[in-house]
Amino acid sequence: MSLDAVQPDPFVHDRLIEAVALHRDREAFAELFSYFAPRLKAWLIKSGATPGAAEDFAQDAMLTVWRKADLFDARKARAATWIFTIARNRRLDMLRRDARPLPVPEIELAEQTVERPDDIVALSQDAARVRDALSQLKPDQVEVLRLAFFMDSPHSEIARQLDLPLGTVKSRIRNAMIKLRLILEPSEEAAR
Amino acid sequence: MNARLHSSRGNPSEERLLAYAAGNLSPPEAVVVAAHLALRPANDAWVRQLQTVGGEFLDEAAPASMADDALMRAMARIETDAGEVKSQPPLNDMPELPEPLRRYALGPWRWIGPGMRVRDVHAPRDGDCRVILLEIGPGRETPRHTHGGVELTCVLSGAYATETERFDVGDLEEADPEVLHQPRVVSDEPCLCVVALDGQIELDGWLGRLIQPFVRL
Repeated sequence: MSLDAVQPDPFVHDRLIEAVALHRDREAFAELFSYFAPRLKAWLIKSGATPGAAEDFAQDAMLTVWRKADLFDARKARAATWIFTIARNRRLDMLRRDARPLPVPEIELAEQTVERPDDIVALSQDAARVRDALSQLKPDQVEVLRLAFFMDSPHSEIARQLDLPLGTVKSRIRNAMIKLRLILEPSEEAAR
Repeated sequence: MNARLHSSRGNPSEERLLAYAAGNLSPPEAVVVAAHLALRPANDAWVRQLQTVGGEFLDEAAPASMADDALMRAMARIETDAGEVKSQPPLNDMPELPEPLRRYALGPWRWIGPGMRVRDVHAPRDGDCRVILLEIGPGRETPRHTHGGVELTCVLSGAYATETERFDVGDLEEADPEVLHQPRVVSDEPCLCVVALDGQIELDGWLGRLIQPFVRL
């Protein structure tokens, strides 16, 4: 570590998950919980869950983080992406009328992709590139994307919440996606 | 690949990929999209980028306040946690299927017409929406039909063509319920598809009227 201690460590959460995986480090888990559980709860409330259900969801998702920490690979996904994916799969489970779980969680499927060393570098840069790409979108485009991620029935709900016609919401999301693709795609090409 | 090329036929819409990345697709649709992504690495990479976007949004979300005892509860849970009993279901009998479909149990093949058979994929349903495998022989046409609800189809082997478009391995077709549909297999081998089917297919025409009473898709 350098003396340049003012810079927050961008990998702090990745290290905490690895500490949980390697040493079942309870302090590390408590730190992860304190950071991510309130954010997971906020997400679920936005998607229409009651505060009580959202609290339980955050608890359950974090327990999955504890259980699956050894599947985390910092080269493949950053901590926030990994926890997002866990929560996303959990949410998909909840949406199921039928209680049969997906036999192969997608996060594990993702592990099977063969990666060349240069892919790994590209992936570790993903989060920074995505952040940069988001900063190039217009604020109203970022807003609809964020809502599309965090709401159950995206388009009509978003239209209601933003008080916009449905068509406007749809085209705004589409334009945001096209712009994101244009910014992010060159390296997708390099990663192949 | 560029944004224009992406929107060509055989690719899911951006809305569909976004919904998949966010976990907002119904489970049967998610199964078909997962099969498509296994066959289309470029789209798979794009979905992973979208999940990174989701991670960023989660990271910067304004935190909600948790119950006072939330951390205590969490720590107590991990202390007593026996771990998840993780036994993967066995592989099914179709090694030709893409990985995301290999661990779903499959029902028996059922004949539904000349050169046509289906079997259920025991993936999670969503009300009436479920996943099936559909195999149609070379040169065969399915009876003309309209759709009861949203239908997603991914070609796993062979190829078929509709009145206007051709669908090859890995292509995803998002059927429009308004459109009368009569796909014809154009490959030399049978065409195998995984389909998310909502409600009953309504068959049309003399063959349809003939077999409809016997066929439950």
